[in-house]
Amino acid sequence: MTWLKNIFSFLSVLLVAGQIQATELLPPGNRALPLGVHAFVGGKVIVKPGEIIDGAVIVIRDGLIEKVGKEDVAIPPEARIWDMKGLTIYSGFIDPYLSFNSIGATEAPAKKSRDLTAGKFFGVPAGDRDPGNPGPGSELSAITPERRMAKTFAPDPKNLEKLREIGFTVANVVPEKGIMRGSSALVALSEVDPNRAIIRADVFQHVELEGSSRMEDIYPDSLMGAIAAVRQTFFDARHYAAEHDAYEKNPEGKRPAFNPAAEALAPAIHKKMRVVFEPNSALLVDRATRIAREIGLDFCILSSGEEWRRPDLAKAAGVPFIVPLDFPEMPKLPEKDDWAGISLDQLRAWDWAPENAALLRKQNLEIALTTFGLEDKKNFRKNLRAAIDRGLSEDDALAALTTVPAKLCGVEKQLGTIAAGKFANFTVVSGKGYFDLEAKVKAVWIDGVFYRTDSEEPKNEEAKKSDDEKKKDEAAKAEKEKKTAAEREAARKRIARSPMAGRGPITNPVAVLIRDTTVWTCGPAGRLEHAEILIRDGKIKSISTNQTAEAALPKDAFVINAKGKEITPGLIDCHNHSYILGDVNEGGLPSTAMVRIGDVINSESANIYEQLAGGLTAANVLHGSANPIGGQNCVIKLRDGATPEGMKFTNAPEGIKFALGENVKQSNWGDKYKTRFPQTRMGVQTFIANRFTAALQYLKEWDDYKKNGKKHSVAPARDLELEAIGEIIQGKRLIHCHSYRQDEILMTLRLMQSFGVQMATFQHVLEGYKIADELAQAKVGASTFADWWAYKFEVYDAIPYNGSLMRERGVTVSFNSDSADLARHLNFEAAKAVKFGGTTEEEALKFVTLNPAKQLHIDKYVGSLEPGKDADFVIWSKDPLDSSSLCLETWIEGKKYFDRSLNAARVTALEKERRALTEKADKAAKSDKSPGKEDIAAKKKFFKISLEHQYDFRDRHCEREDN
Amino acid sequence: MKPIPSISNRSSRCESALTGLRSSESRFTSAATRWLIVLLALVVQSSDAETILLKDAIVHTISGPTLSPGNVLIENGKITQVTTNNDFTADKVVSLEGLHLYPGLIALNTSLGLNEIGGVRATRDIDEVGEFDPDVRSWVAVNPDSELLPVARANGVTHIEPTPQGGVIAGQSGLVVLDGWTTEQMAWKKPVALHVYWPNMDLDTTPKEKFKDKAKWKSLEDQAKERQKKLKELDDYFADAAAYASARKASTNDTALNPSWEAMIPYVRGELPIMIHADEFRAIKAALKWADGKNYKIILAGARDAWMESIPGLLKSNNIPVIYDNVYTQPSRDTESYDSHFRAPEILRKGGVKVAFSVGNSTSDSALIKNLPYTAAQAVPFGLSAEEAVKGITLYPAQILGVADRIGSIEPGKDATLFASDGEILDIRVNVRHVWIAGKELSITSRHTRLYEKYRARPKP
Repeated sequence: MTWLKNIFSFLSVLLVAGQIQATELLPPGNRALPLGVHAFVGGKVIVKPGEIIDGAVIVIRDGLIEKVGKEDVAIPPEARIWDMKGLTIYSGFIDPYLSFNSIGATEAPAKKSRDLTAGKFFGVPAGDRDPGNPGPGSELSAITPERRMAKTFAPDPKNLEKLREIGFTVANVVPEKGIMRGSSALVALSEVDPNRAIIRADVFQHVELEGSSRMEDIYPDSLMGAIAAVRQTFFDARHYAAEHDAYEKNPEGKRPAFNPAAEALAPAIHKKMRVVFEPNSALLVDRATRIAREIGLDFCILSSGEEWRRPDLAKAAGVPFIVPLDFPEMPKLPEKDDWAGISLDQLRAWDWAPENAALLRKQNLEIALTTFGLEDKKNFRKNLRAAIDRGLSEDDALAALTTVPAKLCGVEKQLGTIAAGKFANFTVVSGKGYFDLEAKVKAVWIDGVFYRTDSEEPKNEEAKKSDDEKKKDEAAKAEKEKKTAAEREAARKRIARSPMAGRGPITNPVAVLIRDTTVWTCGPAGRLEHAEILIRDGKIKSISTNQTAEAALPKDAFVINAKGKEITPGLIDCHNHSYILGDVNEGGLPSTAMVRIGDVINSESANIYEQLAGGLTAANVLHGSANPIGGQNCVIKLRDGATPEGMKFTNAPEGIKFALGENVKQSNWGDKYKTRFPQTRMGVQTFIANRFTAALQYLKEWDDYKKNGKKHSVAPARDLELEAIGEIIQGKRLIHCHSYRQDEILMTLRLMQSFGVQMATFQHVLEGYKIADELAQAKVGASTFADWWAYKFEVYDAIPYNGSLMRERGVTVSFNSDSADLARHLNFEAAKAVKFGGTTEEEALKFVTLNPAKQLHIDKYVGSLEPGKDADFVIWSKDPLDSSSLCLETWIEGKKYFDRSLNAARVTALEKERRALTEKADKAAKSDKSPGKEDIAAKKKFFKISLEHQYDFRDRHCEREDN
Repeated sequence: MKPIPSISNRSSRCESALTGLRSSESRFTSAATRWLIVLLALVVQSSDAETILLKDAIVHTISGPTLSPGNVLIENGKITQVTTNNDFTADKVVSLEGLHLYPGLIALNTSLGLNEIGGVRATRDIDEVGEFDPDVRSWVAVNPDSELLPVARANGVTHIEPTPQGGVIAGQSGLVVLDGWTTEQMAWKKPVALHVYWPNMDLDTTPKEKFKDKAKWKSLEDQAKERQKKLKELDDYFADAAAYASARKASTNDTALNPSWEAMIPYVRGELPIMIHADEFRAIKAALKWADGKNYKIILAGARDAWMESIPGLLKSNNIPVIYDNVYTQPSRDTESYDSHFRAPEILRKGGVKVAFSVGNSTSDSALIKNLPYTAAQAVPFGLSAEEAVKGITLYPAQILGVADRIGSIEPGKDATLFASDGEILDIRVNVRHVWIAGKELSITSRHTRLYEKYRARPKP
């Protein structure tokens, strides 16, 4: 066929100057191609959103628009005339996010899963490669930015027809699998050969922040791992470009390796190709934005449909959103009681979904609409109508189908509006236009070619009917319309509240004065009776036992009369996994120092309120214990309502999780896990020593580069794993090491000392009492459980006297939760130190206040009530170590975040909202009327549990979870 | 507060599994003192017939008013006097001035006794295979030398109910006393209950593509059918058992005995209680519906959602007591109050339901049965009275298992199974100083105290 094409293009060049512009001449036996000149007459033309020409004329020639105007436009004699009376003509719709799979083409064969019994360990630096990518490319099978949709586009025509039927003429075909997926291609949805159909290759690069574990035991195997992998890959691409640039200029020295994955990212890192992030959740919009800014990318975001959870984050992103309309639909539940299994959050997600598009517009964001996610594309118009009913203007909707996607895809000069010179792409609709559900999409035109989309012939049955029957029909129709209108009216009203309702500081006074109360300062002042605390600007101003006279009270102060109550510093949990989006562990590699908990802080967790209600104000959010060198931890304050970044304890030094013993040697993972290094406690030492030595080399490489000036031209590659370990060696990153047995504790302590590293804490450290003197001498903190033991072999020697005995020997001891439940009553855990080993009450309370603050190096700010420190405190009904005491109020930085007296009203409001939503949902389920076939996908989507709430009701520990 | 007294490492060698040595309030350091303990132990062990007077304690009788101070006289392992009178003597007088005296704590619905180290399969004897195993018996598999038992006993727990798990009918439990040389001596009453783990009534709404084992995925409709089928199977099993029981009554021929059906007899006749384990709202409702109108003795265990909606009323009208396991679990719905499980015991009590407490029967719970009083204590700031909380770990468990004639309170005629603590037992800071089982004082040392003493004695550098 190639020779034929060449001849034709040669001929067409010759004929350009002729009177009649001929189309390609096909060989004899083929139906000859028409002239391709058309004139639309008498239609209502929407030139662009907001600009309408009634009774317009459009002339099309050879696939392009020649003229647009009123009756005065001359119609060339060779034109076929199309009477468009009663029809509305739009610029052809563009879907910027059409999944490759949904058009019937299949992607490359599925990746082979790693064979764990094969006796090889994949994925570790310099180890065997993940076998997912044969041939050159990234060593990670989920990273394939070099894949091009333009290369594999081969659609099933039937699927294109489905898109045309709802008015689409052009779509951007996007890859669907993996984390960094490859580039998309903008194609005409016409039935021409793929070479002609592709309008633009390599439109966007696609990156998904995968929300859930792939459970393949290949790095990355968690959300935070995926984020770390994305970050590293972009850094690699930057280095690759620089390295190759330098080599091209001066081909001396070591030849740089070829890597198509890194090469494919060059346009993205140079802002020549936009990157589309698919964050899958409201919070990850923020993460995607931050990564894009960190790397320096031009980007936009595929909406998860859940930006209503945190519109503030979407607004802060400030980039266009590609918005799917795959709204959840009410499923039918087998029995009435099964409603008990449906959460308020699921109901909210259902009720908010149609409003999300309008909400994004309200944040002043550009939006483009897509059919992505709809199993049956026929439901697109119904859902679009619902979105309009919920506040999206028709002009915005039209822009989201035409001008915005055209601009996003870089084809605004060719597509998006009806103007001379642009592609002759149109969407032709009868009746009241596209947004009226009764109106039909009659045809679409793509590159000047007509495609009929309305297969229904006009019905002749009407004529046969008697007048009576006609009347009856009309009455029924009117009745139906009335009912539909009523239903739509009901759907138009949102019942769900914002999840932000009732969150954030309850009171935020300039100053607070707490009068005549018992204060456990946890500082040198000890426990004070009849004391008074003055707080100003979030800090403690003074604590004294002098009573300010009524008359002398500061006028701007919020006064709390706390007589009979007791005040303690806010409790601090040195080991907590409650605030992590996705998995607690990245278990794909034995060292994941590049993985950051700070990337996946969950500011929406139900645990925030529950733990505030137990007096907790700060927590050390830790990676799990699946590997000897785990991820970077993140210290947070429980500022309910803040963004993930807003929860971070910015003054806390950086840290990292290490782990030893049974978990890291995989002895509890099952019989197939016998091939990863290390499998023994011996190997743990070998492994950690190896990574620290590698980090030393890495630091030296950078040091040399910096010292020898820039004459090497190319800086060394950034390795985020070694960079993090390097920061430990440089004293900039604290180690929190999960440990149990005395041998492994001492081993690690000495190994770290040999690298000049002062460790911050051993976590759990259940045999710490056996080596308390060594711990005290090394000045390393011990953060232990009050009394957990015997749940596995390495904790058979754990004793509840551990904390007291270590403290007696001079170790700084804290009690931690490692559990979303225990974090609700750490004060009672502290009381166990009084019982077991006779620690005094004041010292015991420090186990959950000052001591964890010291261990996290934040005692300058929190942990005790002393002038100058943050006003993080708890008001208890009585002695907090007494098991009948109650947390009444929790304050952070002089703002009240929890007040027990408001709790009942909070619950009532939630229950009321749920009842109203259940009622609405029940009605909706009964009046289900999708135009397409029953939308199973939409009903399944109803049950989706958002990433932010996946672990609300699950108590997570550091152990690896097997789903 | 002083750390608890304990004996030194060496003397523990002559200690038997649970029939430990008596401890006293002073700390023993010299070899001579150690010999003294051995002698003393011999005296205590041979003193069954003597009378003991526990003097000047704050006596929490549970069934009656607290005597402060009061005296308890023990004869032949039984309590014979509980009084404020001072005018009698005994062979042995123990002064408990300033200490609180309670009846032994009863830990219902526990994996303790059947489990040593959760993470080591070889040490777990909790779950059996099969859906209907009424002839599985927990008390035969309790390891008398388990290191976990003395830890529980050191905080006042004297009786435990090791509970089988697995399937729908997991088997029968016995009440085990934490004193004895052998399993037989420890099996204090057997059986005490049949254990029914109510089939799951909730729906798994995970979409197929997210399901790990795709072949096992089922639609909501299929799941709804399946739960009906499971209920039918359960109901059929009891109907068949009832038919067998009446056949056995009618016939004297017992040549063709069936062990499963034999095991079911006391339960379908309503002689012994059936403990239904259910947490979720729908499961509890289904269980109560099933039990309604049947002549069975029912106990609801787990009971996470038992406080919800109509359930307390249904429990009351069917006279079903609750063993609440869920004080220390988080709320399970996003409309629940943060304290819903803290408040549940009081909601139930107010509704007229008898509430006992359990730490839980998961594998990891067995090491923490010592925390039983704190589980009950957590309900106190949320409305339950301290008296009711203590009853929920003493008298109510005894009543629920039908053994309140012998244990559960300090009353004449009951076993002298008691403990003395240096404060109220609901207070976490308090330590138990003495434990007596049937009049015999037992050690309050354990693996914990032994390791503590050993490493406390490690010379300082």
